[in-house]
Amino acid sequence: MSATWLPCGTYHESYAQDHAWWQTTFIKGKMILLFITVFIVIPAVADDYWLSVCNQIGYTILGALGVQLLIGYCGQITLGHAAFIAVGAYTSTLLILEFPWPQFMLNMGLAYPISILIAAVVAGIWSVLFGLPSAKVKGFYLILTTMAAQFITVDFILTQYVSQIGGRGQAFSLPPGTIKIGPWSIENDIQVYFMMLVLVVLCVAAMANLMRTRVGRAWVAIRDNDISAEVMGINVVLYKLLAFFVAGFIGGIAGAFWISNLAAISTEHFTWFLSLWLVGVILIGGVGSLHGAIFGSIFMVMVMEILQLAIMPLADTFPKLLMDFLFIKEAAFGLAICAFMIFEPNGLAYRWWQIKNYFNLWPFSY
Amino acid sequence: MARTEPVQDNEILLELKDIEMTFGKVTALAGVNLKIRKGEIHSVIGPNGAGKTVMMNCINGLYRPQKGSIYFKGEKINHLNPHQRSRLGISRTFQKVEVFGGMTVLDNIRLGRHIHMKSGIVSGAWYLGKSFREEIEHRRFIEEEIIDLLEIEQIRHKPVGMLPYGLQKRVELGRALALEPELLILDEPLAGLNLEEVEDMARFILDINEEERWKVTCLLVEHDMGVVMDLSHRVFVLNFGNMIMDGTPEEVQNNPEVIKAYLGEEDLYATRR
Repeated sequence: MSATWLPCGTYHESYAQDHAWWQTTFIKGKMILLFITVFIVIPAVADDYWLSVCNQIGYTILGALGVQLLIGYCGQITLGHAAFIAVGAYTSTLLILEFPWPQFMLNMGLAYPISILIAAVVAGIWSVLFGLPSAKVKGFYLILTTMAAQFITVDFILTQYVSQIGGRGQAFSLPPGTIKIGPWSIENDIQVYFMMLVLVVLCVAAMANLMRTRVGRAWVAIRDNDISAEVMGINVVLYKLLAFFVAGFIGGIAGAFWISNLAAISTEHFTWFLSLWLVGVILIGGVGSLHGAIFGSIFMVMVMEILQLAIMPLADTFPKLLMDFLFIKEAAFGLAICAFMIFEPNGLAYRWWQIKNYFNLWPFSY
Repeated sequence: MARTEPVQDNEILLELKDIEMTFGKVTALAGVNLKIRKGEIHSVIGPNGAGKTVMMNCINGLYRPQKGSIYFKGEKINHLNPHQRSRLGISRTFQKVEVFGGMTVLDNIRLGRHIHMKSGIVSGAWYLGKSFREEIEHRRFIEEEIIDLLEIEQIRHKPVGMLPYGLQKRVELGRALALEPELLILDEPLAGLNLEEVEDMARFILDINEEERWKVTCLLVEHDMGVVMDLSHRVFVLNFGNMIMDGTPEEVQNNPEVIKAYLGEEDLYATRR
């Protein structure tokens, strides 16, 4: 998506101004308001239920960022992203539970932050492994190889072997107090919420910066035209694998974050439907835009919650509705994607861009 | 009017020796020899299907010839990938514009600076500091050297996919120039342009070839004989993968074999005048 039109009478005087994210005072004010809202207002007014919805949104954003990078920016269609989230979650869990941390590190609350970083790197490398076929195959064929990542990782390795480590059976549960960052023990929804905010802000900022520098441009070039990208000096295979690495890295962060919100970590949380769900999120939000990943996550999670709230009162008369909610949810997901493909194929982010331009150019629309 | 400045004594920049390229039983190139000297505009002409584009693809590595060798500045480059060749200073434009449609004009040209930039994922994700300075530095180069030269200031923030064809061609030239190449392969830069755009493009090609700042050696594939004969120092004629001749524009125009194969018997050459 191209740059937004500047409001009438606004001119840049240096290249640095033209490179900035927030180019006018109005946008800066707007963003500060947004930060005040998410950091102060929401935690103050929301109850535990809505905070957990926000955490769900944050988790979806972190997952969708990686999918957006692969599909939206680099053109490598992936249907196995849940595998890399799972690798992140399991690596982090196993490190916390099984690694002999020195006592002072546990006291200082370093175990979990370090495990997040390691989980991210492991998930990145795991993702590169399954990204290797992208050197040779494109499009639909790549979808199948990434689906292989899902089934090999989650259904085979994690379920059959990793889950058996420590003899716990099917699920790992983290004892209270093990998830600790510095002096803070992450136990209730509000702490998870703040951790989610910090991670989402960091990851979105890193992605936005990458997209305006050399590496990000190389990814978009590969998406738009891989032959001329190669002629322009881009090592296409290397950059594709780099995209897989960064996507896996962010997926690993998402997984390692999510264990703080789960009572027990099992492979049921990382099914193939989650991979599909994340692709749906970016289709609805808008392919090839960071706003898209965020808007799509908010929209999808909120629609599902509202659907649930709408069904609750009906459940007394039609008890079967509650029983079938999972299927209703899937049907709504499919319906939402159909509707967006027909009525707004460019997603919510494009609508947002149009609205911004409308107000920036008002009253002279061209 | 052909160019008369002597470039015959300049050093050889690119040399093709006995290049053979076949696709199944079709011979696209049958032992082609070509020497391009520094500072010249060397045109390749020939009827459709003569193997001109195949030859260009061999030079920048998209195809690997079965036989023969390619030397760039005296070094054999047969084994190098396209992206490695671009680092040596070979850049090109395509017959059908191959721009990055979803990126803005500025981003397309910035992408041409890829090999001159250094920031990786870590410094890029952090952005402040090294990456930022690098972006600003290259932005200055792009604005002052390329956008100014090609006169595309007013469209710099537009997505290239939405621009008309003539401007896309110009952006593609800008992208190829941003690489600061020593050898620029122009594969039909004038195809599909109107008369005014042809004149502009011809002037840009002359500018980048002659100006002290650029001094780019050009390898030009083109069907517009008027432009080819006016711009080129030397013309190379290809027919069904065989070289017919390689000489100055006058020699080519008067060669009976070339006239028979390509230029046509009656009219000396067709042009859009």
